[in-house]
Amino acid sequence: MTAPLNKAWFEDYAVSMALPAIELGPMDRFDYIPIALILRDTNPLHLDRVYAQERGLPDVVQQGPLNQAYLYRYFTSLLHDPWDLVATKMRFAANVFPDDILTCGGEVLAVAPMEAGGGIVTCAVWQRNQKGETILKGEAKARIPSGG
Amino acid sequence: MTVNRAALIGRPLRAATYTVSEIDLNDFLGVVTEPDFAPADGSEGRAEIASGRLAPPSFAPFVAVLGLLKTFDWQEDFLFDYRTGTAMFGEQAIEFHRPLLVGESVAISAAISNVYEKQGKQTFDVIEVTFDIKSREEGDLLMSGQQSYILFK
Repeated sequence: MTAPLNKAWFEDYAVSMALPAIELGPMDRFDYIPIALILRDTNPLHLDRVYAQERGLPDVVQQGPLNQAYLYRYFTSLLHDPWDLVATKMRFAANVFPDDILTCGGEVLAVAPMEAGGGIVTCAVWQRNQKGETILKGEAKARIPSGG
Repeated sequence: MTVNRAALIGRPLRAATYTVSEIDLNDFLGVVTEPDFAPADGSEGRAEIASGRLAPPSFAPFVAVLGLLKTFDWQEDFLFDYRTGTAMFGEQAIEFHRPLLVGESVAISAAISNVYEKQGKQTFDVIEVTFDIKSREEGDLLMSGQQSYILFK
């Protein structure tokens, strides 16, 4: 991950504003082993290159929840408190493979002030690979405090 | 053989539990570095819940996926042979009601809320599952949402 993103205040957000994009990677096949253990999912598609290639894939497939985790980390790194996250909605569009470089980014879709101060910001978020193919796309919503 | 899964709509799935364990979380943080949620050194033990150590939101999809996988049997509940068929995640939506605590045991309840067929390069069924994840100790809601599974025909 590159340098930490600036944590903007609610007043700084505006509809159509692009979120700063970050680049991650290259993805490492050896990371798939602990992830398989956490998920209790030893499907050889994630671990066995020959098995994956026999099924027409170029290499083993990175686990989907790991792709999501990178996009979550990206979005929550923009927040003053990561648990200001309110909701997410993400659709899987393509697979990630070892050595892929992922880019995460987003755009502000809506801003809604709260009576107590600050507000809710809804963003489109996405993750793409080095070919520009979309891996994940969706929305994320968070509470953003007021700077004033 | 064509399988008609429309009758599965409304089917409640099994109740399941999962503990947000320090081992899982430390393994996760070894891959997905989270500066605000450094791995524990193992000395915290069972005092973690009391001390309120938080798991990062990026671990939430793992809790949902892991928990939900315990709520159904591919064959029995989805009429799908996981050994020979191809399945993948479709869409996941989560609302967060409060942070996840390390060491916390959660209860997952889920039901099949929708089933429909779609045509892409191949024909596939989409099974949508609605879920709630609550604290087993307090009973309060941590997460709620939907997860869809794509079952290729």
